[in-house]
Formats: sequence, C-alpha cells, structure tokens
Amino acid sequence: MDPILVTNNLIDGVLMGMLYSLVALGLALIFGVMDIINFPHGDYVMIAAYISWLIAMAFWVDPSVTALLTVPLFFLFGVAIYKSVIHPILGAEPLIQIAVTVGLGYVLENIALAIWHAEPKSFPAPWFNFGLNFGGLSISVAKLIAATVSVISLYLTHWLLTKTKFGLAMRATSANRLIAPLMGIDVEKVYSVTFGLGIALTALGASLYMMWAQTNPYLGSSFSLLAWVIVAMGGLGGVVGVIYSGLIVGVLEALGNTFISPSARLAVIYLAFFLVLWFRPRGLFAKR
Amino acid sequence: MSTPMLQLRSVEAGYGEFRVLHGINLRVDKGEIVALVGPNGAGKTTTLRTILHMTTLYRGEITFEGKDITKVPTHKIVEKGITMVPEGRGLFNPLTVYENLLAGAYTKKAMEKLEDSLEFVYSLFPRLKERRSQVAGTLSGGEAQMLAIARALMSRPKFLMLDEPSLGLAPKIVLEIFDTVVKLRDLGTTILIVEQHVKNSLEIADRAYVMEMGQIVLEGEGRALLSDERLRKAYLII
Repeated sequence: MDPILVTNNLIDGVLMGMLYSLVALGLALIFGVMDIINFPHGDYVMIAAYISWLIAMAFWVDPSVTALLTVPLFFLFGVAIYKSVIHPILGAEPLIQIAVTVGLGYVLENIALAIWHAEPKSFPAPWFNFGLNFGGLSISVAKLIAATVSVISLYLTHWLLTKTKFGLAMRATSANRLIAPLMGIDVEKVYSVTFGLGIALTALGASLYMMWAQTNPYLGSSFSLLAWVIVAMGGLGGVVGVIYSGLIVGVLEALGNTFISPSARLAVIYLAFFLVLWFRPRGLFAKR
Repeated sequence: MSTPMLQLRSVEAGYGEFRVLHGINLRVDKGEIVALVGPNGAGKTTTLRTILHMTTLYRGEITFEGKDITKVPTHKIVEKGITMVPEGRGLFNPLTVYENLLAGAYTKKAMEKLEDSLEFVYSLFPRLKERRSQVAGTLSGGEAQMLAIARALMSRPKFLMLDEPSLGLAPKIVLEIFDTVVKLRDLGTTILIVEQHVKNSLEIADRAYVMEMGQIVLEGEGRALLSDERLRKAYLII
C-alpha cells in the first residue's frame, strides 16, 4: 500500500471527521437537552444541501458562501418544525418519537424526490475544489476550509454552553427539565432555540459539504447514521466527546476506504460502533 | 385585614384526569411561617405544585399579593418572587455547586443582585463555598439540601416554599435546616413548609394546616395545633 495514499486518505478522514462532528453536534444538542430522538437528522442536511445548491446557482457563488443564508433560514425552519411537530411529542414514548420524526424524514426525502428527482446536483463552478500539494501529498482546500469552519463552530457552541447564561439554561434544562422552570427558565424557549440551533448546524454542514460534493434525495440517511454513531460513541461527553468520536468515525471511514474498498466504509464504521456499544455501552467518553 | 401574601380559594387540581385536591382554602400572610402537614398522599406536594402552575387546575383561585396567578406560567411566577425547594432537592446534578447557584439567579432581577446573593448564601452555608467547584451530584444528603435551599434563595424570593426539606437527613442536620428556615423568616422571607416532621414544623410555624385526602381538615396556630388531641393521636406525638 502506497504510504502517501494512506496518509492522504487519513488526512481526508480527519477533515471529514470534523464536518461529521459538526452535524452530529446538532443531534447531540437536541437529544441531550430535549430528550428528543431526532432520527432523520441527516435529512435536514440533505434538504439544506439542495437549498444551498439553489442559492449557489441563483447567485453563482460558491456553496460555502450560501451558509450566510442557509444557517439563519434553517434556524427558523427548526423552530417552526419544533413548534408544529416536535412540541406535541415531547415526553412521549420513544416509539412515538421515532415514528413521528422518521415520518418527517420521509416527507423531506419525498419532497426532494418530487422537486429534484433522483439525479445528483452539484455546483458546477466551485471556488475551492482543488488540492494543495506537499511533495506528493494532496490536501483538499475545500475540505480544509470545511474542517476549519467546523472546528470554530464546535468551539463556539462549547462556549455558548459553558460560558453564557442561555447555555446554563440549556444545561440546567438538560439536567432536570421539571425543575428548570423553578429558576425562572423558560423551558419552551430553551427547547425551540435548541432545536433551531441543532437544525442550523446541519445547514452549516450542508453548505460546507456542497463545496465539493453533490446532493441527492438519499444523502440524508448516510448523514443520519453517521450522526447517530458519533453521538452514541461520544456518550454524554459533551462537545469534546462529539469531536473525538467524529474524528474516530472520519478516520475509520478513510481506513475502510483505503484498505478494503469505498463501498466497505460504512461497514467499518458500524463494526466499530457495534464494538463500542458492546464494551462501552455508555459511550467512549461517558464520565461514569 | 390586609391582603394576604398568598391565598388559595376552593382550589381543585390534579394531574390530567386524576383529581388530587378537592377544594383547598389556604392563606399565607407576609412574614409568616405556615406549615402544611398530613399523611402521605394527602396532596401537600400537589398543593405546592399547583401554586406554581405545575399541575392541572380545574377550579378555584390563587392570588399572590392580591393578583391572580392561575394563568401565569411557572417561570413567570418565579419572576414575581415565589419559588420552591422541591421534594428530593431536584439539583442539577451534572452542574457544579456554583453553576447550580448561578442557575438559581436566572431571572433578570436576581442576576443583578448575584454577588450579594452569593455572599448571603455562602454566609448561611459556608460548606457550599468550600465546595463551589464540586459537581452537585457528588454532595452528601445534607449538603445537597443546603444547596437546594441556597439555589432557591438565589432567586430572591419573597415567598419560599419548602417540600419535605428534612427528608432522609440526619437529625442534627434536620435541626440545622429548621434553624435556617426560622432565620429566613426573621430576615423577611415568607415561608410555606411541607413536612413529615410534624412536631418540629409545628414548633417553628406561626400557623399550620393539616391535610387529609386532598382537603384541609384542621387549621390553627402552630403551637396550639401541637396540643390538639386529634392531631396528637393521628401523628403519635408524645
């Protein structure tokens, strides 16, 4: 095996891992604060990828720039989804939550199918889709930008959670949602902002992803599964746990890609996921 | 007679279809300690929760400082100056002692007085200052109860409700908690306390209500009730 190819793929895995962490963080927030099983989390990435593509085509700008619109748009979309669909199933049993959220995922998927059909879409004139070469090594600039923006966003979310008053309200609500109102915390507001934020993060991930990739109506399911694997692996380790397990997933994917075959990449991730749940059912980074 | 701080009139409440309170009339005046005692399942906790809009209210009226609060959501009631130390403390276990206190001062008004409030609760419970960076879930039972009371005080309540503050604590700590309650009253906080330690709570209470089966069956001055024959028999106070 060519060591340069392996190194290249590993770097790629690390960069992709950061993007996966970003998408998974939204899921972790929604699950951690609201106890809502947002099963089709990746379908929001898929829809956001289409919206990002539409805006990019309309203004002829790189999809990364469209994040300026997709992120606030999807924050509002998330709040709307929360108020209309999620609010009624708060505290419902998991089966009902899964049925409702999965149903919502199918709705999103079929909307995409109906409007854009099954053919993949991508922006034909990306700005950053080229490699930087270092003696044989080639690093994708688009992925480097995506990873950098992801890390900054992960850090900002961590800062929001640990250093701001609203973050304290989110953590208090997560710890005890029945008691939080006794502090004067408006739990409804915490929930709608958390859901909006979680969905806004998928839009950021989607706009970054579209810098080099293409979207199709089934993009959602692979992002959903990746996000769930990362959250389950990260356990209750907070933002840091999500970053590490995102890294692990990205690198495993790259290894599967390199040493087995591109079609085996998901199999490798699920095998690792299975092993983690077997030996560390509370996640790799759970405190207890 | 002046307006009571808190008044419940013919309050019927419960959880969904499950009716627990069958017409509660209760009054707390400014500066009082009022005790609410009675057997398990009498509806004491439900009464406190109903005041905070945490149950389903079917009928009746609840006023705080003369204003109806039955339609006000819980977090807004807290802004008006009512809070509760919940049964089983209800701490934010993964958060530190300091973060729990900070969360207690979440309302805008309370946040402005944060430094003062911290100094006050640390003077009341010096142990909490020592343990301020410790995670709340690792505190002992007594410390956890101190934190629960301190956290409630951080919101600067005019009216404080305590639900079974002595539950599961060593006798020495129970006495400390009761001393604190009296001290808080003397500093101007009005208090409604639900207790299983009937004797202790009647001793510190200005007035008390006895509940059974979702109704008030007896009311009077704390010490007078202590010598009430029916009560003594029911609770085997010797």
